[in-house]
Amino acid sequence: MDAFLLSQYVLSGVVIGVIYGLMALGITFIYSIMKMINWSMGEFYMIGSYVQYALIVSLLGPRRWWLALPLAMGAVFCLGLVVQRLLLRPMFVGGIERRDEYATIVTIALMVFFRNLAIVLGGPNQYAPPDYARPTTLGTLPISGNRFVALIATLVLLALFSLVIRKTWIGRALRGAAQNRVGIQTAGIDVLRLDMLAFGVGVALAAAAGALLAPDFLVYPENGAISTFKGFEIIVIGGLGSILGSVVGGVLLGVIEALGSVFVSAAYKDLYGFLLLIALLVFRPTGLFGERERTV
Amino acid sequence: MNRRAGLGLVAALLMVGLTTPGVAQKPVKLGVLTPLSPPGDASAGQFIVRGAKMGAEDVNARGGVLGGRKIELVIEDDSGTPEKGAAGFRKLATQDQVVAVVGQFHSSVMTAVQALAEQFRVPVFSTQASARQITEKHLTYTFRTHVIDPDRCELWTRWIKERGFKRVALITENTDYGIGLVDETKKAFASMLPGGELKTIIFDRAVVDLTPQLLDIKNWKPDVLLNGGIGTPMYLIIKQAYDVGLHPAVPMLISYDAPVRAEYWKTLGEKGNWASFIVYYHPTMRLTARGEAFRKKYMAEFKEDPIYGAFNAYAQVVLLADALNAARSDNSDELVKALLAGKFEGWNGTISFSRGEGPYWQQWTPPMLVTQYTKPEQAFTDVKIVYPPQLKTGDWMPAPKR
Repeated sequence: MDAFLLSQYVLSGVVIGVIYGLMALGITFIYSIMKMINWSMGEFYMIGSYVQYALIVSLLGPRRWWLALPLAMGAVFCLGLVVQRLLLRPMFVGGIERRDEYATIVTIALMVFFRNLAIVLGGPNQYAPPDYARPTTLGTLPISGNRFVALIATLVLLALFSLVIRKTWIGRALRGAAQNRVGIQTAGIDVLRLDMLAFGVGVALAAAAGALLAPDFLVYPENGAISTFKGFEIIVIGGLGSILGSVVGGVLLGVIEALGSVFVSAAYKDLYGFLLLIALLVFRPTGLFGERERTV
Repeated sequence: MNRRAGLGLVAALLMVGLTTPGVAQKPVKLGVLTPLSPPGDASAGQFIVRGAKMGAEDVNARGGVLGGRKIELVIEDDSGTPEKGAAGFRKLATQDQVVAVVGQFHSSVMTAVQALAEQFRVPVFSTQASARQITEKHLTYTFRTHVIDPDRCELWTRWIKERGFKRVALITENTDYGIGLVDETKKAFASMLPGGELKTIIFDRAVVDLTPQLLDIKNWKPDVLLNGGIGTPMYLIIKQAYDVGLHPAVPMLISYDAPVRAEYWKTLGEKGNWASFIVYYHPTMRLTARGEAFRKKYMAEFKEDPIYGAFNAYAQVVLLADALNAARSDNSDELVKALLAGKFEGWNGTISFSRGEGPYWQQWTPPMLVTQYTKPEQAFTDVKIVYPPQLKTGDWMPAPKR
């Protein structure tokens, strides 16, 4: 095996890993603020891909795909706000005793609902928006233009997200909510509004991944299933609640899957990530960048 | 009216009531169990349903079966998964009490439901499931009017030999179909192309990123790539092979007739060009009177040429109607006897089921052809048959360099 081929496989894993990291970031962000797992994350990814496709094909045309991306994210953000306000907020204001179970049931029901809605509205077939860019090369790796665009857009979104979280007032409030929900309320911050915002932003990140990968991974009712699966793996590997962990976990998962599928067998591609996940759970249960929870 | 005349009138009315066809008679139910949602090839299922419905309409327009009973279709979605297929078959057999089931597309699902067909004694027809073991088990209630994978792999090995290709890569999914393709191609290579080199990659059907596998194939430098994906994976292979520079520089042969559907170009655009693919029907093919009538009606209704899956589902419903009439009963054992004894007019020939050796058990095989797209957005009606030599209407062409 020469270094050239090895570099191709590693690079292909890095690229897909970074993009999956976006999905993981959405999951971990919602968890950090709301302390709940959104099992319907893949369906927001799917809706993002459908909105992107619909906008490009019927309204904006193939050249303005870059305009469709923020619009798709915005549409899913608004949908996220509505879902959070109507279905998830009662968890925090209605005196519900078993919040985890409530959130699990509601988000799994949403998953089934959105999948079936997609079949009713768009049929069971697959669609693909036109390519965003022509195939190119990234170092030694021949890569689709779409995936190159997705990589750049993901890096930009991650940088923006990090900037907002670290440097702005709202970012500080969100970090505060992640550390202590009760504490920030004593500082006069409406934590229920932060929940809405966090849920909207989290699902919009999933929608961005769906929209960016739509030309390569196609648009169909179940296209979010695999990315949700990867997203959960990544947050366990990287550490729940860690932005850096989402990116590093994504890259690690992508590379291990790429190498395993070439050097061992492609039939067990999902297994390699699980082996890594099990190893981490044994030796570092908090994940690579996760912190042990401290409660008083 | 005197007493005798009155009695005569009552008797006459009773006679009319007993012999007039179609008056309040229980319909004969046929199940259509096919993929209508992902992860199955839902597009294929939709065409199968179209054909089956038109078959039932035709039979009913001719007066139905068994002295005037109408055919009623009960349509179930198997989603291309064995568990949903088994649940659907169980419902069709027990709750709906269908006399037979058509529409099976995915080999994994067909393999799961044929055991139930034996248990419930309900004949099941493979409409487009081609794995060898389906008919090789020699089950009483399993019938197939579709090609089998040993024949498919033999055909593509002959084509590979004719083209002079030596290094062949096969990428396929980890289903009964995909694994069967690998086994059968290895056997065909051993017997027909001993000098040929074969690289096989089996991937998980749920995986969407096949870039590392396609890079691996590209670096192996094959002469031809065999695409064994079904539904979405078939499209993903073409798209991603194009993106890594493998297709169309390296010729690709798709294992079944999905490219004839309109969604092919919508999904792939120019990336779909230069692909070769196996079909079982071509518009230049000579059809039976029944097949020709179906084709005309289909074109009038859907404004497009019918697709093989629709032809085959139509033929299965109509031949089941013929078999029910021959059996004079909707009893499953009588129906099986009639199916084995009869000759039925299909869409392109006479269908009969014999109990042959190996997979040729209750099996009827349609023709197989290799065709090729040579222009983006090319209509299937304009596609040339490039193999086998005795049926070809044009020459296979390599893609120009990008």
